[in-house]
Amino acid sequence: MSTAAREFLRHAAEKSADLVHRGVIRKGIDQYNAAAGRGRARFSDWEAARQKCYEIKWEAVNNLDRYLLEFERRVKERGGHVFWAENSEQARQYVAGVATSRGVKKIVKSKSMVSEEIQLAPALEKLGIKVVETDLGEYIVQLRNEPPYHIVTPAMHLSRADIAALFKEKLGDVDTDDPPQLVAAARRSLRRDFFSAEMGISGANFLVADAGMIALTTNEGNGRLSTSIPRIHLVLSGIEKVIPRLQDLATLWPVLATSGTGQPITCYNTLIGGPRGPNEIDGPEEFHVVLVDNGRSQLLAEVGEREVLHCVRCGACINACPVFRTVGGHTYGTTYMGPIGSVLTPHLRGLPDFNHLSYASSLCGACTDACPVKIDLHHHLLHNRRDAVNAAARPLTERLAFKMWRWTVGNPGRFSFAGGVMRAGMRVLQALKLDGTLLDPARAWTKNHPSPPPPPKSFRELWGKQNGAR
Amino acid sequence: MEPAENLGRERILERIRTALREPAPRHPGAADKSIFAPVGDPLERFQQECAANITECVVTPDLAASERAIRDVLAALPPGPIFVHDTPDLRRLSADWQSDRSLQWSSEGAPQESVQATITTAEALVAMTGSVLVSAACGGRASSVIAPVHIVVATRDQLVPDLEAAFTYIRQRELPLKNSYLCLITGSSRTADIEKILVMGAHGPRRLIVALSLKAG
Amino acid sequence: MPKASLFIPCFVDQLAPEVGLDTVRLLRRIGYEVEFRSEQTCCGQPAFNTGYWNDARPIAERFVNIFRSAEVVVCPSGSCTTMVRNFYPELLAGTSLEQEAAQLGQRVYEFSEFLVKVAQVTDLGAAFPHKVAVHDSCHGLRELHLKQESRELLRHVRGVELVEMAYSEDCCGFGGTFAAKFNMISAAMGDAKAGYIETSGAEYVTASDPSCLMHIGGILRRRNSKVRTIHLSGILAQTAASAERHPRPAAGGAR
Repeated sequence: MSTAAREFLRHAAEKSADLVHRGVIRKGIDQYNAAAGRGRARFSDWEAARQKCYEIKWEAVNNLDRYLLEFERRVKERGGHVFWAENSEQARQYVAGVATSRGVKKIVKSKSMVSEEIQLAPALEKLGIKVVETDLGEYIVQLRNEPPYHIVTPAMHLSRADIAALFKEKLGDVDTDDPPQLVAAARRSLRRDFFSAEMGISGANFLVADAGMIALTTNEGNGRLSTSIPRIHLVLSGIEKVIPRLQDLATLWPVLATSGTGQPITCYNTLIGGPRGPNEIDGPEEFHVVLVDNGRSQLLAEVGEREVLHCVRCGACINACPVFRTVGGHTYGTTYMGPIGSVLTPHLRGLPDFNHLSYASSLCGACTDACPVKIDLHHHLLHNRRDAVNAAARPLTERLAFKMWRWTVGNPGRFSFAGGVMRAGMRVLQALKLDGTLLDPARAWTKNHPSPPPPPKSFRELWGKQNGAR
Repeated sequence: MEPAENLGRERILERIRTALREPAPRHPGAADKSIFAPVGDPLERFQQECAANITECVVTPDLAASERAIRDVLAALPPGPIFVHDTPDLRRLSADWQSDRSLQWSSEGAPQESVQATITTAEALVAMTGSVLVSAACGGRASSVIAPVHIVVATRDQLVPDLEAAFTYIRQRELPLKNSYLCLITGSSRTADIEKILVMGAHGPRRLIVALSLKAG
Repeated sequence: MPKASLFIPCFVDQLAPEVGLDTVRLLRRIGYEVEFRSEQTCCGQPAFNTGYWNDARPIAERFVNIFRSAEVVVCPSGSCTTMVRNFYPELLAGTSLEQEAAQLGQRVYEFSEFLVKVAQVTDLGAAFPHKVAVHDSCHGLRELHLKQESRELLRHVRGVELVEMAYSEDCCGFGGTFAAKFNMISAAMGDAKAGYIETSGAEYVTASDPSCLMHIGGILRRRNSKVRTIHLSGILAQTAASAERHPRPAAGGAR
């Protein structure tokens, strides 16, 4: 078992037993479900909207080189820089290179999951560059020294009391749990950073090929300030974020907002294509886009899994997932959590160490129903499991167990016999009151499921008696 | 790092091209169906959406009336400079404001951090979502986010029914060629990161006000 | 007389035979001649779901061969029906049985689906004077698109009071080998579900998948709950007469 798998099991056990935590998550998800339900009802045809989004992303991903090159050309025409990073290290080095060569001491960052994925902040801190998270949820978890709990709502596991205590300790000038005052405290603190930072880093929700602009979706205005005030704007984006046309956003923006938060559309949908233009009154002097591969081109090559790259990072699958609801976002121990994380992480970080995430699912399919771009998420989990087995990344005991299973169910006589032995064994354990204890080979099941005595005869035996043996 | 040193670029493109030699399955569907009901009366819809997303929409008969409405808003604000987008219309409208307020014009540079309000024009208004479309040419990037109050001076003929129409407008006017920045603004800045309780005015304006005059004059 | 061939899930055969017996009873009640091809063992789902497709494949092939000549196959389990209809084509892609499997999938029906959509019967002459909540088993709901069928059948049961539980579409947490591998998550999910069932005021919880009911039943027992599980076929098999002659045991059984 990999270290990551062991850690996952440990945290999952802790969180599964934490009824308070489960209650907080349930409440948050209920609110989201109500809002998202209202949001979907605003469409005259939500299913057609999903299909449209699917087709836009299909076209984009299946013509990835063409649209990325178009995007790059237009950005450069405006005087922007585009850097293609094969992996986390190259991406970090480029950012560090730009920052150090331009004398950057402080960076304000609006939300970017890719920056988490490439572990940018620690690398920059080592160089003496301060990185300030400006998305309120990210800011809060940064103060707590925690990773984001959810890709869209990073602090959903915290109560206002938690946040009040945190701000009182770290910011000093606030002693209240009133949300508007807490937000005002964060605004005061972060405003100083917006105006003193030399560089702003953002992610990108979409890279628009025919306009050569990034599309950035935010509510708070931190993404706006980070990309307007500092003299350098640097964008981190996965290569799969490209879309063909600006017009596609007429569908993608409302769908993303609906699935992400239940809003008809997010407060600020910004399009940025370069540094400030010659006739413009403000804006950064430099514009850089770092296109990050980090395993995505490999996923592209797996044709059966390619549609996983259609993901728009809305978080709807995470909210729909009963496993997430039970163990929470930190348990996964990865940048991307929930169903998309469980599907994607083995591809980005390796099947041997991370296939356990694809197994940590009951395959209920709620994620697939929720996905606004129609990714068949739970079937991709199945595919990951198949690939893990074929790559011999599963424990020997499991492989042997299924060889045993195959031998047993391959013949009705063996199957019947094995079933009889199993039931007899259960009866013995129950009679000795050993069911559920360490001596019970099925204790993983029986310890949580006290069972009545097993039936004395199987269906086939009873049928044989009723209808004459066949 | 200059592009000449970006060796990874060719390798990534090569991997992409190789991967795409095999086409992925494409699931059929009827994506030509419209996904939103058509917008009825755009003005009415715009006002409804503004009410829903907490944008203050003030409909006035003409620009002179808009000016009076704006003057009332400014009078109630704390002391401090106001940033104004430098256009002939706004120069004319602001004639009476200079006595009470120091005005900072966009032609003088980016807005100061301490401005109490920014007043800008817009490229268009979108009825379906109650949104304001701005570009860099509408007073720059910071003007729509830096102050506690953002006032947009617009006219009814700037209303487009929906997002499709907004993007058609953007395409026809070639806005991406002329601007490094565009923004579709829907309501004032907000967050629900604390227990999912909506709080207005996170890092951007607490109030977004649209003075919408029915006549362009 | 129309014929129906039984597909009895492996664990129903060994651990919950009454589900099979009730299915037979009901099919005969509506005029079907029932056969049970005793060569059957398992559809292969446990291996398939765990990623052991090379082990599942021969078992799937075996299944297709066993049922090749059956006109209509009825299965009291949404997950097993899903395996055959939705997953055999993928599992057997590229084999000589690929077409056969796809065709067989069109002739295999989940039990409630069969009654309502094929036999077009919704009143089975049943009586079950209890408060019943329906748990929407995931495979039936999301893979076979079944939701109203069981409720339609229950509405015609005399004396039954249908109560809707909160979050009836939430997964119960069984998920096959998931319940063993990640038993703490599985148990917590079952626990949440058990809580909603208890709050609904139901005396019985039913579903189309006996595996869900085994899981929920165990959790309810661990909570010393008064609520019992009963498979849909178990309710429909009850008549006013049999209820008197064969009252259901009061002790918590995985029924």
